Amino acid sequence: MDLQKLPPQLAVPAEVLPGLVAKMERHVPYGAALLGRTGGLEVVVNHREQRVSEIPLRQGFVFTAWNGRWFEEVAGTDLAPRPMMALAEQLAKAVEVLPSAEPIDPGPETTAHFATPCAKDPTALSSKDKLEMCRDLHSRASKLDPRIVNVHVRYLETRDSKAFANRAKRLSQNVMRLRLSVQVFVRDGQEVKYDWATRDGVGGLELIGFTDQELRRLCDHALALLSAEKVPPGMYEVICTPDVSGVIAHEAFGHGVELDMFLKHRARSEQYLGKKIASPLVDIVDDPSYPGGLGSYFFDDEGQLASPTYIIRQGIFERGLSDLFSAHRLKVPRSANGRRESFERKVYARMSNTFFARGDTPVQDMIASVEQGVYLQHSSSGMEDPKGWGMQVTSHYGEEIRKGKLTGRVFAPVGITGYVPDILQSVSAVGNDFALSGGTCGKGHKEWAPVSSGGPHLKLKARLG
Amino acid sequence: MLQQIVNALRRQDGVSDWLVRHIRKLSQQHYVIGDGPENTRAVTSERVVVTVMNDHRATQRGEELVRGEAEVTLLPSDLAHVSRKLEEAVFMAGLTDNPPYGLPTPSEFPRVDLADPEIRAQPQEVAKHMVQQLVDAVGAEKGVRLSSAEAFVDEVHTSIENSRGTIGTQVETKLLLDFVLLASNGDEEMESHIAFDRRRASDLDVPLLAHRQAQYARDAIVAQTPKTGTYAVVVSDEALAELLLSSGYSPLVLRSAGQLKYQRLSPWEVGKSIFSVEPRGDPFMMYSNSLLPFGTRSAIFDSDGLAGRRTLIIKNGVLSSFWATQRYAEYLAIPATGTFGNMEIAAGSSPFDQLFDGHGTVYHIVAFSAMSPDPITGDFVGEIRLGYEVQRGQRRPIRGGSISGNLFTVLADAQFSEETVFLGDYLGPRGMIFPQITVAGE
Repeated sequence: MDLQKLPPQLAVPAEVLPGLVAKMERHVPYGAALLGRTGGLEVVVNHREQRVSEIPLRQGFVFTAWNGRWFEEVAGTDLAPRPMMALAEQLAKAVEVLPSAEPIDPGPETTAHFATPCAKDPTALSSKDKLEMCRDLHSRASKLDPRIVNVHVRYLETRDSKAFANRAKRLSQNVMRLRLSVQVFVRDGQEVKYDWATRDGVGGLELIGFTDQELRRLCDHALALLSAEKVPPGMYEVICTPDVSGVIAHEAFGHGVELDMFLKHRARSEQYLGKKIASPLVDIVDDPSYPGGLGSYFFDDEGQLASPTYIIRQGIFERGLSDLFSAHRLKVPRSANGRRESFERKVYARMSNTFFARGDTPVQDMIASVEQGVYLQHSSSGMEDPKGWGMQVTSHYGEEIRKGKLTGRVFAPVGITGYVPDILQSVSAVGNDFALSGGTCGKGHKEWAPVSSGGPHLKLKARLG
Repeated sequence: MLQQIVNALRRQDGVSDWLVRHIRKLSQQHYVIGDGPENTRAVTSERVVVTVMNDHRATQRGEELVRGEAEVTLLPSDLAHVSRKLEEAVFMAGLTDNPPYGLPTPSEFPRVDLADPEIRAQPQEVAKHMVQQLVDAVGAEKGVRLSSAEAFVDEVHTSIENSRGTIGTQVETKLLLDFVLLASNGDEEMESHIAFDRRRASDLDVPLLAHRQAQYARDAIVAQTPKTGTYAVVVSDEALAELLLSSGYSPLVLRSAGQLKYQRLSPWEVGKSIFSVEPRGDPFMMYSNSLLPFGTRSAIFDSDGLAGRRTLIIKNGVLSSFWATQRYAEYLAIPATGTFGNMEIAAGSSPFDQLFDGHGTVYHIVAFSAMSPDPITGDFVGEIRLGYEVQRGQRRPIRGGSISGNLFTVLADAQFSEETVFLGDYLGPRGMIFPQITVAGE
């Protein structure tokens, strides 16, 4: 696959999009078209099975027509130019344009193709070589301890291509997303525990790989879970790894500033625009243009070019994340956060790479400053509550801190809950490190999209249970 | 399209077995914000998913015959390139060495109700009617308004064919109603959010559900944080289904999966207790049921073409059988049951209201922020989105804080209501009481 060009399945139909949009706009005040193709490769190796296969291919079109107040869309899988043209025109003709139609700004004129820069292009490596890479990783991890009952290695290569057109823009992009994960399962009698590590991002094979030391640490963590205790419920001073910090950013102040939530009056943060909401040490950013983040892209599904959005700066809530509809209705500037799960679903305001900005405190100093607390590691899930401003993040495990030192006593799993402003205002130190972790984010309980979250280590107070 | 691909598979070198699924989907989607539309969508899609098996001598060690499989998706525009796509699939399948296994052979498929005639006849009208019912119902609720709603109505046609002669077709309908209500008392505003998946419109009593959710939103305004400690906890309705089923990733489902047993990740043994402590609660009986009328996980056949069925998985807290697709059934030398269907759990013997008796303070949870027990260990932590503290017959709304435990410990002591509910993919007790649960709160 040549990343510098759209795949042929999209390149031909993409040629007709400008004409198709022009035809639609004979009948409606605004029209747009998006083509998408998401495919790739999955390689799995564990103790008892191996698999090399395509990931399920999703390819289709969406035509969007504006009736003056809301959007009407048709979508499908048949990318043959002639039927696409007919369907787009049929949609536009059927739309009843409202008499007081509000115009939609198509944005500045732009024509461009973008492609993920890959130092080591994954498409240059054969499926067989990728399988060998996974077998090698599996073999190295499997030998680490006799209590290991399985090691699950998974390589996922997702090629996400899109073409967008409205009357001002003609854009296309090839985004290469990679994930390599190792999951180590250990068993002691009836107890099976596990831990995992992932390397991921938008880019090439240079993003992924594990040293023997990292595999050893992963195995040690899994083994430590065999003797993990339940954390006594209560309020704690905690240090969060970048992974846990990121999920807090995502759940606490990511979903709640997606501006469709403002339109729906579902976000309490609406009342805090321009006001102090967090410790002055806190900056939270969403940035789809962040190099290497799993949630990175060049333009969103409505043709807005990617750029960073400062959500919170020095503790003040500055602005939210918009899709076209919410930005238009709320009369605020757009951000590049209009994203679809696929052509089968509508656009929502969604996060991309969401993180706490780096601070200046060394991690060791943060741990040393805790009299009694928990070092929270490895988030496994999270859930937002933008209206109630509750927050739930589950940490796969935490380690006790006493008198500034890690004691080796492990708690698992650890639920982190609390009132969002209390948590953000309790941040008393921000680490001088930084890391992003990739994942898949839902809106409510559906609409899955690739994202990343992260930041530095954080010191804060939270309720654990 | 299907026949063309089947013919190509029969001609293709290196194909030892094959399986083809042709999936066509029509979807009508309506989105509302407040009292006005946000978007209306019509989506059509068609794809063929081809699984190719290739038998070869082991590439890594030994000379035994092994099998690899790979999947490719073909779209209508790919028909001109079928041979090339199949060659790629054969190449990928040839890379991996797995013990041989087969595919389901032809058998009589059961009759299962999967499609709502009303949805098939008038999908758009059904979606619009659901939204209108919701708007009308919410309009009658004092201090409550509609924030947003989404109604999806889908019709899916699936045809399946494999190299062992299995051929089948099924038509299913699906609907999703997702809505958010806002309640206000003048000073404070709170929401309730719920999503319902069903196959049939008449399985959703929209006005009744809107009334319930409206009360939840009002209660959320005055809810307080629960107390920290160990308490008896009742979990009911959608929250209970979430705890037990977790959208299919439940530890109950995964530990009883033949695949996980084969991968040495499930410590369960047939004939042995699934609990980590001596059971003292109601007898726990769980079925995988693909035959449940209009169950959202019901199917005439599974993704390999194996006939749908109802299988007893857990009897009185003891593992009765693993569920397994054809491949893992052959690996473990057990009967193939097909993919896990709807979760069916036998009712208990206590009326729901009596579950609360004799436990002092009881917390009754009706909504979690998210509840997904660890699929391997069964450990869980869930924030309480809404619940009630029940003390001497008085109910006080609570929210915030969390409950935690291990599913295989808490289920051993649980008592179940005699009333059952059908929630799309769950048929079982309306509520369960867990006598000893850790609550993290004030």
